[in-house]
Amino acid sequence: MTEMTYLRAISDGLRTEMRQDDRVLLMGEDIGVYGGAFKVTDGFIEEFGADRVMDTPLAESGIVGTAVGAAVVGLRPVCEMQFADFVSCGFDQIINVAGKMLYRQGLPVNITVRLPSGGGFSGGPFHSQNPEAWFMHSPGLKVVAPSTAEDAKGLIIASIRDPNPVIYMEHKNLYRREKGEVPEGSYETPFKARVAREGDDLVVITYGAMVHTALEATADLDGASVMVLDLRSLVPLDEEAILGAVHHCSKVVVVDEANQTCAAGAQVSALIAERGFEDLDGPVLRVASPDVPIPFSPPLEAAVLPSVERVREACRQLLEY
Amino acid sequence: MPQMGVSVAEGTVVDWRKQRGDWVEADETICEISTDKIDTEVPSPASGRLIEVLVQVGVTVDVGTTLARIATDARPGEPHSSENDRPTALTRTADAPPPPPVAAPPPAHDPPRAPAARGSAARRYSPVVQRIADEHGVDLDEVEGSGRDGRVQKKDVMAHVQARGGAPPPDEPTMHIESPYRPGAGASLSGPYTPPEGRPLSRMRQSIGEHMKRSLQTAATCTTWIEVDVSRIEIARRQLGITALPLIARCTIGALVEYPLLNAWLEDDTHTVHEQVNLGIAVALGEDGLIVPVVRGAQDLSPEGLSRRIRDLARRARARQLSPDDVRGATFTITNPGQFGSMMATPVISQPQVAILDVEAIVKRPVVVTDAFGEDAIAIRPMVILGLSWDHRALDGAIAARFLASVKKRVESYEA
Repeated sequence: MTEMTYLRAISDGLRTEMRQDDRVLLMGEDIGVYGGAFKVTDGFIEEFGADRVMDTPLAESGIVGTAVGAAVVGLRPVCEMQFADFVSCGFDQIINVAGKMLYRQGLPVNITVRLPSGGGFSGGPFHSQNPEAWFMHSPGLKVVAPSTAEDAKGLIIASIRDPNPVIYMEHKNLYRREKGEVPEGSYETPFKARVAREGDDLVVITYGAMVHTALEATADLDGASVMVLDLRSLVPLDEEAILGAVHHCSKVVVVDEANQTCAAGAQVSALIAERGFEDLDGPVLRVASPDVPIPFSPPLEAAVLPSVERVREACRQLLEY
Repeated sequence: MPQMGVSVAEGTVVDWRKQRGDWVEADETICEISTDKIDTEVPSPASGRLIEVLVQVGVTVDVGTTLARIATDARPGEPHSSENDRPTALTRTADAPPPPPVAAPPPAHDPPRAPAARGSAARRYSPVVQRIADEHGVDLDEVEGSGRDGRVQKKDVMAHVQARGGAPPPDEPTMHIESPYRPGAGASLSGPYTPPEGRPLSRMRQSIGEHMKRSLQTAATCTTWIEVDVSRIEIARRQLGITALPLIARCTIGALVEYPLLNAWLEDDTHTVHEQVNLGIAVALGEDGLIVPVVRGAQDLSPEGLSRRIRDLARRARARQLSPDDVRGATFTITNPGQFGSMMATPVISQPQVAILDVEAIVKRPVVVTDAFGEDAIAIRPMVILGLSWDHRALDGAIAARFLASVKKRVESYEA
């Protein structure tokens, strides 16, 4: 075990997999000579060469489209979107080409698309979004979102090995802030939920950076015992773990950093309404960003993103219900 | 004493909910009775004042016997003329006309009385609170709420159940008898042993005991076992989000249709072979005993449909809300004690059926499997032992073995 940041854990996962599988290659804007906008691939071009660490033009559609072709002939490309927000330029290639290829032609598309996502640092409307729900809605794709350094490495390795196109949501605000013990060598984190903290009175269901917000908000909540469930994988969604937590706690708060409407948490809430109804002891409460663009202004951004205080208030309301 | 099912001749009063002098509303529960088919509550046939209880708790009487008298000309709050020792002009007896056989017994708790309670937030219960109250027969009016505006929360009803001496509801519904063992203070090792005072065996235990003894005396009971690989059931179970029982039941029903000799009754010399499968499922009622509700027409149900019916019957069995028809007419029975880890049993046939299937624990074992090239290998597989007790008067061992082989084939080739 070595302690490293969330960002180093992603690098470590990529490097580990590239060393043992020469089908794995990286594509993205400024990921080679410059080492990536966030330095995730710093030093990679020196170790693996420009054939496997490819600097591409500013054209997300081209990056994903080329990767799909490479995957069809047997390679395992990992594409970096410089910011998750820019993935919309590659949307058609992901949704209509990568996601439908197996269905239409029986060809697996083993690509991983890395999406540095999330706000909290005044990045403004083009550099702060959480677009995971766009991909959850479209069949043929998997979507994962690690919250810890250990899972960041395990999930990037599992994503590269999974034969489906996987959208890998990496939260920029965790890059250097989140640190943890990370196992050496190669391991896969399953596409299953994780109990971040055990509890009995209420469960907060969330993923990504909001796991830490939820843990902080409920660490000391008037003596209540609060479970925090880290989904880790959004597609497939670990329905068994969600319903198990609801059965145990009976009160549920669902937290998304994404804009509220049709977010991942909306799907979780719908699942609970449909299959956990008889276990509920109160309404399912949601905390998410309102349906507005993420503002540049620090005080406005702080008001929009779900805060520790807002999560705590929702939990209090429900505990008293 | 109301007629609870065609074959029921007598019943025992278990509890009087109303005492002499109490006001009782029509359809309000007046007492609880127990018959050898079912335990149930007796609704009052009319509104009035209970002026006389004729059958005391613990007494068994024939169907049709008058249990109590209700003065229907009395008014709530006023003493009745009969309480001044004057003869009453108009009384009605509580030996209700037999309820229609399909009617469900009245709900476990009284209907809301105070109009103020209706519509107020304090009297609305969340789904989990209602479910727990149903499972434990809790009257929610008695539970004090700690939530907003006195709302009853899950923890309140749990605390109420625990204070009353009941255990919290198990995570998985229990389908068979629990161990009666409870850790407690150890008995003193010195001095002579003084056994605790004995009590009369409950009505339900007596009835189960008689039925089981009669079966063993009547049938030529043999038991045959078979070991089955349930890998495909385990996969299907996870896909469908149900337990293994309805899937194994589905395979058993298929085999019953193939071998109808097992789906039969034998009463003296009368042998009745059924086309329709009415599947009895043994449901434990804690320490009280067990009851075998029946899934009618099970041959037409999917595994999901069976799962839903079994869950519904088990829930109503535990809430003591089964109607006599829910427990009648089984043509074959499945019992499922394996969830507690047991490996083998010799179940007793429920008369007049000719067989019963016992589903034991699913255990991972090393087994020899043959791959597509005909090569043998050792694999880890979830295995279960199915035990079939069958009546040698009605059939022979070869049929029993072929039936079990058919169940095995269906389970091992199961496609969801």
